[in-house]
Amino acid sequence: MERAIVLVGLNHQSAPVAVREQVAFQNGQLGPALRRLMDLEGVHEGTIVSTCNRVEVIACGTDATRLSGLLPRFLAGEHDLAEAALTGHLYTHADREAVRHLFRVAASLDSMVVGEPQILGQLKQHYAAAAEVGASGRVLHRCFHKSFSVAKRVRSETGIAEKAVSVASAAVELARGIFDRLAGKSAMLLGAGAMGELTARHLLAQGVGSLMVANRTFERAIDVARALGGMPVPWDGLARTLPLADLIIGAASGDDFLLGPAALEDALRERRRRPIFVIDLAVPRAIDPAVNALDGVYLYDIDDLEGVIADNRGARAAAAAKAETIVEAEVDAFWGWFTSLDVVPTIVALRDKLEALRHRELERTLAALGDLDPKHRQAVERLSVTLVNKILHAPVTMLRRHQADRAESFYIEAARRLFRLGSDADAMDDDDPEE
Amino acid sequence: MSAELACLRLALLLYFAAAVAALLGVAVQRETPRALMPRLLGTGLVLHAAALALRSAHAGHPAVTTFDEALSFLALLLVAIFLVIQFRRPLVALGAVVCPLAFGLTLAADAVYAGARPLPPVLDSVWLPIHVGLAFLGDAVFALAFSASLLYLVQERRLKAHRGPSLLRHLPSLETLDRLNYSCLVWGLVLLTLGMVTGIIWAHAAWGQFWSSDPKVLFSFLIWGIYAILLQGRMIAGWRGRWAATLTIAGFAVLVLSLVGVNVLALGNHGKAF
Repeated sequence: MERAIVLVGLNHQSAPVAVREQVAFQNGQLGPALRRLMDLEGVHEGTIVSTCNRVEVIACGTDATRLSGLLPRFLAGEHDLAEAALTGHLYTHADREAVRHLFRVAASLDSMVVGEPQILGQLKQHYAAAAEVGASGRVLHRCFHKSFSVAKRVRSETGIAEKAVSVASAAVELARGIFDRLAGKSAMLLGAGAMGELTARHLLAQGVGSLMVANRTFERAIDVARALGGMPVPWDGLARTLPLADLIIGAASGDDFLLGPAALEDALRERRRRPIFVIDLAVPRAIDPAVNALDGVYLYDIDDLEGVIADNRGARAAAAAKAETIVEAEVDAFWGWFTSLDVVPTIVALRDKLEALRHRELERTLAALGDLDPKHRQAVERLSVTLVNKILHAPVTMLRRHQADRAESFYIEAARRLFRLGSDADAMDDDDPEE
Repeated sequence: MSAELACLRLALLLYFAAAVAALLGVAVQRETPRALMPRLLGTGLVLHAAALALRSAHAGHPAVTTFDEALSFLALLLVAIFLVIQFRRPLVALGAVVCPLAFGLTLAADAVYAGARPLPPVLDSVWLPIHVGLAFLGDAVFALAFSASLLYLVQERRLKAHRGPSLLRHLPSLETLDRLNYSCLVWGLVLLTLGMVTGIIWAHAAWGQFWSSDPKVLFSFLIWGIYAILLQGRMIAGWRGRWAATLTIAGFAVLVLSLVGVNVLALGNHGKAF
């Protein structure tokens, strides 16, 4: 019987935040959702990962094609969406690809901020939630734990984390060139958008005291402000609140610039020319480039920030390449283990092993007995064959009986360990806590 | 070579080493030069002070009267004030301006070295160390304001030009530099005022008149005016940043002009007597 791992999901690259937030799972929803996932026919194990940048469902079952059809429907159904609403935003990875994807996510190679460390913690959290409701089994247990150790390897061997060079951290680094400390400074987020929110989050994490959120639709400003722990401010009253902002993040683009030199000149005068750091993340740009000419305004658009990052890009690319190599090697190792989990090869291996033992012992015995007549010889041989078949009967029956059900991998692994089969004999579960 | 000159030259050497360490400290990631800089500078300061003390002992009056003594004394005060600031908050980039400046001043002092000169009896007064000490302390603080402003312009230019933070990573933030500029202006102006007031009192005690059209005095009023306007602008009109930095540098240029001009051309009481 076939076995398969399928991962279906969307992330910051495949889907805009408007779609991502529709399918995100809140903390309380995760347990019930996992139970419903397990109730689906053909799903043996499952885990859901839901962060602000990605929502992914990983499932183990018997049929990759079937799972690939099932999971998008599940994801849409969980959020009362039509499946069509997600088309074009979802990616589906099966088997090796699914494992690789998970490893890359854990190693923060798939993050918006490559090398950022939070994702590993989030992954652990979501795996623990799945383990709690019994949704993860042997395969996902090993797969996730392997992904954690891959992440650790990547971090310690490539130094990619130190070079978590991102637009957001470049912005923070530049802000340090302007402001003595970020504590007590106010930031203003203009418009919504993944990049803007991430940068605002990053700034808050780095100690920026307060965040104002302005949006053309005030409701949206309220939502974003709530998510980030900021304060929504009305779009119409921007002239009043703008002078309070030491950092301005432009995140929404429109037909026209959101801010021009006149508005910022007013703000500067109001704040007695204390400097303003303006970060324009929008494409097309949200802020008139002419404001950089104002004394006390430091404008960086997305290209400038990328240019700032570019210094380190060579080193980063090298680190990323090395990380990918590590991931690839670990996927290979995992895949070797995973494919050995099938019933048929296990039975074949079991037979081969006992057959080999039988042959060896038979020859040794016959040699020791010296000249036997053919009748006796046949009797001894028959004895050995019968013995092997009798020994094999119960395990093989058990394996066959549990083929394709949830206990399958348990019996397969038990058989492989008890009889020391194949590669499992030496390299079994190096990171398994039970050992 | 006298012990005094030996001390001065050793101090000069250490200032040079400190300048190199500070410049390296701004440019490289490693911590060593940044840790080394204050030590080199501190040792230099001790030797420099010893040189000045020896000279004063030899001359029998505070050695702050000749041109080389003045340059040397100014360098000494600059280093001392910088070390106080550095002790409270390490600013290696400021060191990268101050150390070469101190080195340059001391080198100039060594170049025009003339040895101690007897003091005219009329100036042998308790006012000498008070007046000269305050005035030069003010000059040293203005030199620091100049250094901070110079760094401000560099940092501001880099930020405007969208240059990455990779090189010169250890430049202080604009905010830090602007605040330092402000404090230096306040203290510098207070010290300069006190220096001028004591000068006037001393002039009256020595010559019986408060006022003379001594070029140094005129220059001092000009410098005082420049810095007072700048400080006023900062406090009332909210001048800051690039404009404030530029004016600070301009003020310091006038200060240097007065210091060098008066002494080299031997103008007035400040120029020729000492």
